[in-house]
Amino acid sequence: MVIATDIIDSGQRRSRADARHDAWFRWLLRTCALLVLAALLGAALSTLWGGREVLFGDGLRFLTTTQWNPVENIYGAWAPIYGTLVTSLIAIVIAVPLSFGIALFLTEIAPAWLRTPVATAIELLAAIPSIIYGMWGLFVFVPFMAAHVDPLLDSSLGRLPLIGALFRGPPLGLGLLTAGIVLAVMIVPFISSVMREVFQTVPARLKESAYALGSTTWEVVWDIILPYTRQAVIGGIFLGLGRALGETMAVTFVLGNAYDLTASLLMPGTSISSSIANEFNEAAGLHRSALIALGFLLFVVTFIVLLIARWMLRSLKQKEGTA
Amino acid sequence: MTDLATAVHRGPAPAGSQPAAAQGADAARVKIAARDLNFYYNDFHAVKNIRMDIPERKVTAIIGPSGCGKSTLLRVFNRIYAIYPKLRAEGQVLLDGENILDPAYSLNRLRSKVGMVFQKPVPFPMTIHENIAYGIRHHETLSRAQIDERVEQALRAAALWDEVKDKLKRSALGLSGGQQQRLCIARGIALRPQVLLLDEPTSALDPIATGRIEQLIEELKRDYTIVIVTHNMQQAARVSDLTAFMYMGELIEFGDTEKIFTKPDKKQTEDYITGRFG
Repeated sequence: MVIATDIIDSGQRRSRADARHDAWFRWLLRTCALLVLAALLGAALSTLWGGREVLFGDGLRFLTTTQWNPVENIYGAWAPIYGTLVTSLIAIVIAVPLSFGIALFLTEIAPAWLRTPVATAIELLAAIPSIIYGMWGLFVFVPFMAAHVDPLLDSSLGRLPLIGALFRGPPLGLGLLTAGIVLAVMIVPFISSVMREVFQTVPARLKESAYALGSTTWEVVWDIILPYTRQAVIGGIFLGLGRALGETMAVTFVLGNAYDLTASLLMPGTSISSSIANEFNEAAGLHRSALIALGFLLFVVTFIVLLIARWMLRSLKQKEGTA
Repeated sequence: MTDLATAVHRGPAPAGSQPAAAQGADAARVKIAARDLNFYYNDFHAVKNIRMDIPERKVTAIIGPSGCGKSTLLRVFNRIYAIYPKLRAEGQVLLDGENILDPAYSLNRLRSKVGMVFQKPVPFPMTIHENIAYGIRHHETLSRAQIDERVEQALRAAALWDEVKDKLKRSALGLSGGQQQRLCIARGIALRPQVLLLDEPTSALDPIATGRIEQLIEELKRDYTIVIVTHNMQQAARVSDLTAFMYMGELIEFGDTEKIFTKPDKKQTEDYITGRFG
């Protein structure tokens, strides 16, 4: 009898201990998740608080004007917002098709012996610190743009009506286009690795079914692989876009840092993060508040971009029909 | 044509009722003819010296133990293997007398003539309507109304129309397994092929869905030449007119289904049919 109750006791003790450990574990996991939320909220609120003088004092004028004059304490954020959006857009326009091609080549076309080395090389690209990209951009790429690309664009695309204004300008080398291209090189590894991973998850039988209907490789990719992996592909693109929006060092090197708003992509500009990086040292008072408010705007811009991503996914899903 | 006759009449004719395939052997045209067909995965010799005549508008079943090369043989008939590197077929496969293994034979043309349905149902991630229309649009330029009509025809032919006519705009992924498989068959016949290759089409389905597919095969053979690979011998006996037994990459015996299942010529065939190995 004594022995039997001992066994029951130890069994109960054991299951009580299990329940307690499980509760701890759940609590631990919940804390991890909440920490992220707390950090995000804290950063957003503290930038909002730090930038209150400018954000609430100047209101819309801060968002819509371009004059940025620390001497007279007049601040308008439109030039850095514009620079951030345009450089990131250029980066995405270049990087998405390029990454798509890389990922497809590696998953569908490349012979087996070539796949791993190229994939590794791409991942190594992602590991290069952004300051190196910035240096390479300034010392190598900017002179190249000034000597070859800028004059070519100015004399060809620059002559077209409407879009011509985008490509007209002196061959400075520095500027929005250069920054966008450097950003593209930086985000290609992210986007292409994500795409490669998800393309590999497409079941062979799905592709075979499409080939069996007579589809070409391109059609299988466009009509089958892309819709099947759509969610992850868009996720990968926005991962790259997020990085492009916030990238600081590389952009600061090649952007030119001018608070002018010009139509031409060949002219220097500025971006939110590079403005902050350039001026934070010597900022005080209202100037400091304006820079922190810029930081808050970057939050807002990124958030809006994520919302757009969600909305795109939803409208694509509707097109495909619901289950 | 005589090849078929010899294939069917190998050995003494069974007493009593002559099955349809043998009766119609003279009338049935050869649709697909394999000549000295060999197939290799890298160095592995998977299909060996196959010589086989598949008659038009009949159901031909290929049976045999796992790894005997039956699916591989089927996958040669529409050259689907060609999407993978290092696989190669040697010899000839004549479709209406033309060698489809000739690199000059257009894959697009081949696949519009020879449709295929796979082991597991694989609806595309699109609406039910788009799943069918996708293939049609690839091969023909039709108006929207014409495409709608073809989609309906295909779904009716696959005995699926009544179940899906109200939800053509919904995702095909929401259908049951059996419905998905019939959708895949509909997708195949929407192209109006001449041959349908079925690679264990019911192995992932429940008995009721299997019954519907088998019934469908019976109806489809009026218009199509059907080649079905199955590991289910009862299924082969139920649906097919001719049966081929393969073992270790070789075609051991090929003839009328009734004969193969009642009085096979070869000992190996008999052992497999009666469940003594495989």
